[in-house]
Amino acid sequence: MVTWNIILQAVGFGLVTAAIVGIGSMGFTLQFGVTNILNISYGNILTVGAFAALLAQQAHLGLVVTIIAAPVAGAVATWILARTVFAAFARRHGGAFDLILVTLACSLIIQFSIDAAAQGQSFSFSFPVGSTVHIGPFVFTVLSLGLIATAAVVLGLLMAALHLTRMGKALRALSTDPKLARACGVPMRKILDLTWLVSGALAGLAGLVYVTNSLTVDAGAGLNFLVLVIAAALLGGAGSPIGAVLAALVVGIATEVVAAIGGSYYSQAAGLAILAVVLVARPTARTWGGTVRDEVTV
Amino acid sequence: MSYYLSTVAIYFGVDLLAAWGLNMQFGWAGVPNFAFIIFQAIGAYVTAVLTLGPDTGANSYQHYVLGMQLPFPLPLLAAAAAGGVLSLVIGIIAMARLRRDYQAAVFLLIALIATQVVSGDVGLFNGSNGLAGVPQPLAGTLSSLSLSEYQWAYAGFVAVVCVITLLFLRRLGRSGWQRALRASRDDEAAAGALGLNVAALRLQVFVLGGAIAGLSGGLLVSFITAWSPGGWGYAETFAILTGIILGGVANNWGIFLGTFLVQIVFVEVPSFLPEFGYPGLIDKLEWILIGFMWLTVLLLRPRGIIPERRYKAGIDAAPQRNVSRV
Repeated sequence: MVTWNIILQAVGFGLVTAAIVGIGSMGFTLQFGVTNILNISYGNILTVGAFAALLAQQAHLGLVVTIIAAPVAGAVATWILARTVFAAFARRHGGAFDLILVTLACSLIIQFSIDAAAQGQSFSFSFPVGSTVHIGPFVFTVLSLGLIATAAVVLGLLMAALHLTRMGKALRALSTDPKLARACGVPMRKILDLTWLVSGALAGLAGLVYVTNSLTVDAGAGLNFLVLVIAAALLGGAGSPIGAVLAALVVGIATEVVAAIGGSYYSQAAGLAILAVVLVARPTARTWGGTVRDEVTV
Repeated sequence: MSYYLSTVAIYFGVDLLAAWGLNMQFGWAGVPNFAFIIFQAIGAYVTAVLTLGPDTGANSYQHYVLGMQLPFPLPLLAAAAAGGVLSLVIGIIAMARLRRDYQAAVFLLIALIATQVVSGDVGLFNGSNGLAGVPQPLAGTLSSLSLSEYQWAYAGFVAVVCVITLLFLRRLGRSGWQRALRASRDDEAAAGALGLNVAALRLQVFVLGGAIAGLSGGLLVSFITAWSPGGWGYAETFAILTGIILGGVANNWGIFLGTFLVQIVFVEVPSFLPEFGYPGLIDKLEWILIGFMWLTVLLLRPRGIIPERRYKAGIDAAPQRNVSRV
């Protein structure tokens, strides 16, 4: 029997899911907004981050190294991928759709490389959860409060960097109109490097927070989680961190409530249902008037 | 050896059908259907539940919907119909004039979610364990044949289906309808300005391709007699797509060649390799290789080995028939 109590509990879980999805989709929306590449391998970078944290933990490098390993691995992997593979293809073809095929191939390669190295197993990860805290009707662990705080801090830093610094202004200019930005003397190369590094670090961090919450990780973890990340990023509007976080709240709470009422296997289908409604309703995703930006910027 | 060759021939025929179906959507119309494998899967599941009979008695170890026992060609026709109907539903949702890259993402997400739902919901098609013990078509009537003879008979049947499909595709390939599809693929705005209903054209080809996918799934499950979510992961679509991109997008013979190459490289060669590493390592390495192969082809020969025929229209071209039918 589904009671109000269960639904309230689910909303509490939904806040935690929203924090995890939000961190991932802030990175995704930044990357997509600036480069116009809908990067499917972003989900695999999440897995890379989670496995980096796992390796650091299994090597007994301590909690701090474990936490730092994930974003560093994500940033490095993303930067290398972008500067070698994506850049090579963007020079040759340049269309946004061709680049999706490329990111898909990269996604396959990373996914099955990790799977081959992991021998197809899933690994358990341990992280201090802390005691439980009652806030109003919700029950949180110290860890889940930490995850929510992390998402809030990342959002704050990202918004401040985008709107208060010169680099942030240049980045927003680049995202709005690459040609005009280039003509105005925006340092393209520097800003694109920064975009890849920051979005990669956020992907790695999302992998870490995912694994601290799920406590197991396998090679497919990130790609399945990508469903919710993309849903939130597209729902919030490409290039908008605050939009991504608000959308993550909707997606996170909706999936957890659906999981509580129906089966857990329908929770991601709920995420997709939200995405479908949004894509049909949002004019920017559609091809009205044919003014879609097709060039990518790597 | 005869057993082995007939098995490879049947797999090749099924993959070829699937590749032609996907090419109608991806090559002719430019619809990036990265969820293609789920249409093959629904065809296979429908064929399975329509031949297994009720999930009681001998089949009580597995659970599924709609248990029935229909005679031979009906489950295959139902598989094609199921592929078409699912395509219609998903096509209406996912193709509502979306940007092409968004469409691609949505299709990929649909494939991931379909796997999760079917694996999780045991009542639907027996969850992640899948369905087993699907009877082979006409096994009773043809019981006088030896195993190898039966396999060759089935391979012949698959070949006949392939030839009929190819003739159908060639007929469609010369039609005004296909020309309209290609026009809307190459320049959507111009095609729209000429009065073509781009969305309707795409939905039509999407449903047709989905029906062929469903049929290929039905043919496959009738042969291998079992079907589970492990066999239709999202990556399987990319194996089919690799054959298309390698051989030549929108070229039936290019796709034949590409699918053949992928089948030889990924089905035949590994089975002759000495087993190394842990069980399953070779499978994973194959996928990594497919990824690299894909990147290489996209980089070096993006139009494939046998590129799409260049079409001419106007004064210097041969007279075009059926132009007014569009």
